[in-house]
Amino acid sequence: MDKPQIDTFSPALSRREFLRWLGAGVGLAAAGGILAACAPAAPAVAPTVAATVAPKASGSISIYSALNQSTNDAFFAAFKAAVPGIDVQLLPLAAAGALQTRIIAEKASPKGDIFIGGDRSFHDVLGKQGLLENYVSPNAGAIPTGFKDPNGFWTGWYVGIFAFVYNTSRLAAEMGGKKPATWDDLLDPAWKGKIIMPSPITTGGGYVFLATQVFRFNKDEAKAMDYMKKFHANVAQYVDSAPNGIQFVAQGQFVGGPNWAHDILTSKAQGNPIDLAVIADTGFEVGSVSIIKGGPNTAAAKPFVDWMLTKDAGALNVKLSNRVSLVPGVPPAPGAPTLDTVKLVNYDGVWAADNQKRLTQLWQTTVGL
Amino acid sequence: MRSISREPTVVLVLAVLVGLMVMFIIYPQVQVVIVPGLDGYFSFLGGQTWIKPLFNSIQIMLASTTTAVTLGFVYAYSMVYSEMPWKPFFRIVGILPLLSPPFVVAVSYILLFGPRGVISYGVFGQSPLILGFYGLWGVQTIAFFPFAYQLIADVLARNDPRLEQAARNLGAGTWNVFRTITLPLARPGLAAAILTTAIYILEDFGNPLLIAGQFTVLPSQAYSLIEGFGDFTGAAAVSTILLVLALVLYVAKLRIEGNRSYVTISGKATSIPRPPVPRALTAACFIACSILAVFILMVYGVLIVSALTVAFPNNLALTSKNFEYLGSHSQSLINTLKFGGIAAIICALFALLLAFLVQRKEWWGRQAVDFMAIMPAAVPGLFFGIGYATAFNQHIFDWIDRGMLITLSMIFWNIPVGYQAAIAGLQQIDRSLDEAATSLGASSLRGFRDILFPLLRSALLTGFVTAFVRAVTTLSVVIFLFTPGTTLATITIFQLVTDFDWGGATAFTVSVIGMAVIVLSGVYFISGRRAGLQRTAGG
Repeated sequence: MDKPQIDTFSPALSRREFLRWLGAGVGLAAAGGILAACAPAAPAVAPTVAATVAPKASGSISIYSALNQSTNDAFFAAFKAAVPGIDVQLLPLAAAGALQTRIIAEKASPKGDIFIGGDRSFHDVLGKQGLLENYVSPNAGAIPTGFKDPNGFWTGWYVGIFAFVYNTSRLAAEMGGKKPATWDDLLDPAWKGKIIMPSPITTGGGYVFLATQVFRFNKDEAKAMDYMKKFHANVAQYVDSAPNGIQFVAQGQFVGGPNWAHDILTSKAQGNPIDLAVIADTGFEVGSVSIIKGGPNTAAAKPFVDWMLTKDAGALNVKLSNRVSLVPGVPPAPGAPTLDTVKLVNYDGVWAADNQKRLTQLWQTTVGL
Repeated sequence: MRSISREPTVVLVLAVLVGLMVMFIIYPQVQVVIVPGLDGYFSFLGGQTWIKPLFNSIQIMLASTTTAVTLGFVYAYSMVYSEMPWKPFFRIVGILPLLSPPFVVAVSYILLFGPRGVISYGVFGQSPLILGFYGLWGVQTIAFFPFAYQLIADVLARNDPRLEQAARNLGAGTWNVFRTITLPLARPGLAAAILTTAIYILEDFGNPLLIAGQFTVLPSQAYSLIEGFGDFTGAAAVSTILLVLALVLYVAKLRIEGNRSYVTISGKATSIPRPPVPRALTAACFIACSILAVFILMVYGVLIVSALTVAFPNNLALTSKNFEYLGSHSQSLINTLKFGGIAAIICALFALLLAFLVQRKEWWGRQAVDFMAIMPAAVPGLFFGIGYATAFNQHIFDWIDRGMLITLSMIFWNIPVGYQAAIAGLQQIDRSLDEAATSLGASSLRGFRDILFPLLRSALLTGFVTAFVRAVTTLSVVIFLFTPGTTLATITIFQLVTDFDWGGATAFTVSVIGMAVIVLSGVYFISGRRAGLQRTAGG
């Protein structure tokens, strides 16, 4: 019966005593906290860790890939076959912005060697922050100027073109089967309430569409906004994620909408009743590759970039992802537009990125959203 | 109430818990908050692109919280008070909406109720433009009512039947008992439910991304700043705005709770059954819950049908090819169950112990720790993950492996619900119970273990269940943390969605949900049996 008596009758602990306890507690907490933090989860996860974090043979590179999963497997298998001796640890995430952010977050101790896929703008931000290794591949000479970084931090290797997706049965039934050929065709009142549009504020694709209109009118923003306003009258809804736009058209929720050509073809290949309409004067993204500075195996990352810029790798990417290769002489995917056949607008990616906030705000006030 | 300075063990335990929270909640979050820098904040706030999303966020939060909490209350009342049949079935169905991996479940709403939806167009011939405020309101109501349901059900289950019996004996009708006894006693649960539901709706980005259309809210703005434009700085600023909003909500909750006593469990034996509710009310409860259940099952039914057909809704031929992917990617499914399971157990225990120390002990800084335990709910998963990637991807933390880090992120991200449930529960339990134990010589931690822990079993269960389902279905927290060997089911689902492989994505989703339901049914079954045994032993 000692304890309750202390609690009830003895005077409060002296200040010194309290502080002593507190000090001991905090000291133990620091040690105990660390132990407690790792103890519970450690046994269960130990096996997987040995496989991933432990330093492997010097010939392994870690690749952060924003390419589609269907592309990844075959693409990296081909690399391993072509360049024996270098193994690939793949971190697949088809979201270039998330990978870019991850590289920034990991800059204290980089875990990746290669960042592959995603528009040049994602790579450019990293290059400007000093997080990329300067590397100009001997094979980069064949890539047209304007599609590679003048500072040598990233190299473009494919182009994704913005086009138009339509639901084949609804287009036949409601639009007489007439697919659009120019952006102006979308102003036809017959399209009213039938278009699903990726939001220019929240999607990269939607913004490419907006900037495309500005470039189409030679940066006459008044004319571009006039177009966007008329176009807005025909839009049924805006959507916060470009792939969802394609999915909704595939489901038949809407008749059609502007979207990425390669994604349209990929969805079509899954058996969806949709097709692609190539539009004149369209915008595009430049899919790029870069080497992360201070990664685990920079030396082995360079042969990878060299391989990626070969004709074989370019052709394989076209076959797997329906994108357009920037390596000269690589034939396009069936049904896909090519740089020769599609009329591209004079798209200035750097200017578009610099004016993004201003243009989206201008657009918002114009259409009243 | 005793000061804890006389109990070194308690001080020690508290110091460990707070130390862990500082390390795994505050420290990573600071990494995100400091990203924009002062200039970044000024230029972002000056740009004013956040004002409209802010108003949208508040608007959807107010509307959805109101409907979700109302629905949650009805569901909880039916489960606890009425004598409707099929309660175990309704219990699982009531958890299902929490089991929605992003990018997949929301699609089935559009398949059902979109402009060419199976129900909206197929049955009613209407083409509603559901992207926008109303669509989002509906989806968020269904998606988040389970939080409210669980928190309120915990509290209702602990209401002392004697108070209600006494009121009935004095002549009060069912409605009067409900209005003057049941509802006021449920106030701690209601306050907890309103706060957590509101904060979770505020930070959700998965559903808005899919169904909000042009009605952009703050989390979807933050996501698109990162994913569309690589603007990490702006996104971090948006995340900070969300934290400030959460703080405001927290202060508001303290107001709602007030200083009343909600004690209903005292030292005396309570073996009296609840006063029976009228048959008509039981029937009404059954009908209301059934309607909701049909609705929920329809949404998940679409997933099952999609998983079993070639291309829903265009080609309904049966196939098993969608499940092929499962074999080659079973590792991600196993990782998910393993990390999620471990995290949920630790999270539930941690939350309960913390709630005990906050609610039962008096010490300086209590309120700050109280807020710390709620804060993770306000941090969009994306930023919780970014914070972890930044904070722990340093050479000095190389000993924390990735599986452990992912588990830790799941533990600390999911503390709020279990913690809120435990706090609300403790508010109902008379201090004289645990004080009796301590005055008989037990240490206060022993009192917690032997007296309060058994009484708070349902709160523990709530903590486990929500932590588990959220850990299993989170994408945003883990996309910055996973490595090739620690990949998770949601990552696989995301990859399938971006490949437009709707069949494969639904097959994988159905498998994840199926496994989670099996685990939860097992947990409910065991805890139900144990509760039954204890009742028999006690009575």
